[in-house]
Formats: sequence, C-alpha cells, structure tokens
Amino acid sequence: MAKNIDKIKQEVKSLVSDITEIPEADLAEDAKFTEDLGVDSMMALEIVASIEKKYKTPVPEEKIPNLQSLKDIYDLLEELL
Amino acid sequence: MESLWSVEKIRSILPHRYPFLFIDKVIKINTNERKVTCLKDVTANEYYFQGHFPGRPIMPGVIIVEALAQTSIILYAALKPDQAAKKPLYYLGKVEAKFKKAVLPGSQLFLQAEAEKLVATAGIIKAKAIVADEVVAEASISFGVKIEDDNSA
Repeated sequence: MAKNIDKIKQEVKSLVSDITEIPEADLAEDAKFTEDLGVDSMMALEIVASIEKKYKTPVPEEKIPNLQSLKDIYDLLEELL
Repeated sequence: MESLWSVEKIRSILPHRYPFLFIDKVIKINTNERKVTCLKDVTANEYYFQGHFPGRPIMPGVIIVEALAQTSIILYAALKPDQAAKKPLYYLGKVEAKFKKAVLPGSQLFLQAEAEKLVATAGIIKAKAIVADEVVAEASISFGVKIEDDNSA
C-alpha cells in the first residue's frame, strides 16, 4: 500500500498523544512506552484498538507486547498496510 | 431462565462476594461474537435500596456499572479460560457510561458485554444493561488483568 508513511507517523503520534495525554513534542520516536512514558497495559490496548479502527487492520495479539515505542508501531504499520 | 454456569463456577471466576457480587446467572455465551449476557434479578430486598432512596428505591448507577464490569470479567473468562483459571487480579481502568432509565425493584437486569478488543492483559468492552428489552444503561469499560507470578505450582 503506497500510503505516505510520514502522514501515518503524524497520525499515529497524534493518536498516541490523545490517549496518553502526553504532548506530541514529548513523544520521542524511540521512547519506551512503559518505562519512559508511563503508559499502562490499558492505554496500550486503547492505542492498538484505535489504530485498528483507523487503519481497518487487525493487529495480532502476539504482536502487541513488541510494540514498545512509536517506532515499533511505525514499523508494524509499514508491515501491515 | 437457566444459567449456563453454576453459582460455584461464577464464584470461581469472580472474586466478589456479598454484598458486592452482582451476577446471578450467565445466560448466553457466544465466543465467536465475543459476547456474553448475564442476569441480575433486582429484588426489593437489595441492601442498597435502604438508602438509595428511602421510600423511593432506585438501583444506583454505579452498581449497574459494577455489574457490567463483573459481566466483562465473565466475558474475559469465556474468551481466555486458561488465564482466568489462574485467578488474576482484575482492575478497572476507565468507564464512560450513560444512564437512560431508572432500574427499579423487581427488574430482571440483563447485562451484556461485547469485546471491542480483548487480550490476555487487558480489555475494552462495550456493555449494555437491559430491562424488558429496553437499554437502561450503556458503558465502555477498560480493564487490566494482572496474573500474579505463580510460584505456588
């Protein structure tokens, strides 16, 4: 799918910012969700659920534990979309 | 109306007990649709009617939400039986609820929970409380599940 990855990155970042209530400026691409940003398992699931809804693609459960930073989400989306 | 689960089975999944167990029966389980329906018979003798409100009994909205949260745990157990058997801790994370109609003594309160997203460690559930085919409350419920390290074997 030839979707603009920069656009997706921006969309995902703003979605993560909405759910975690962390300003986009503070969301470094490689910051770890749990250790660095204080994201808990419920927020993580909310992020996954809203990504699934937005891009209409299921994220397999076994992939979720590997999503530890924005970069991991970008990589997964590049693979899935 | 028959329960698919015995009282013992419900109690083996839900850690709650009187006066905070709000599921009487499990009526329907559909693992394909990722949906369950439970039942709470709201009797005139419920202890909270003493104070909510004297002479005008109305089931408290927070208790309807709690009943829907317990239904969500039943759904989790139906979809993830192996994890639920380990008796994890369930903790409520977020609730958005709407209350549409008062629930009065004598109501059969049907509690529906449908998984929007459910994994071993957390769930997002769409839930509805129904009396006489009318939706009396609906809620979106997020919860976390923590399986304690089992060193007990």
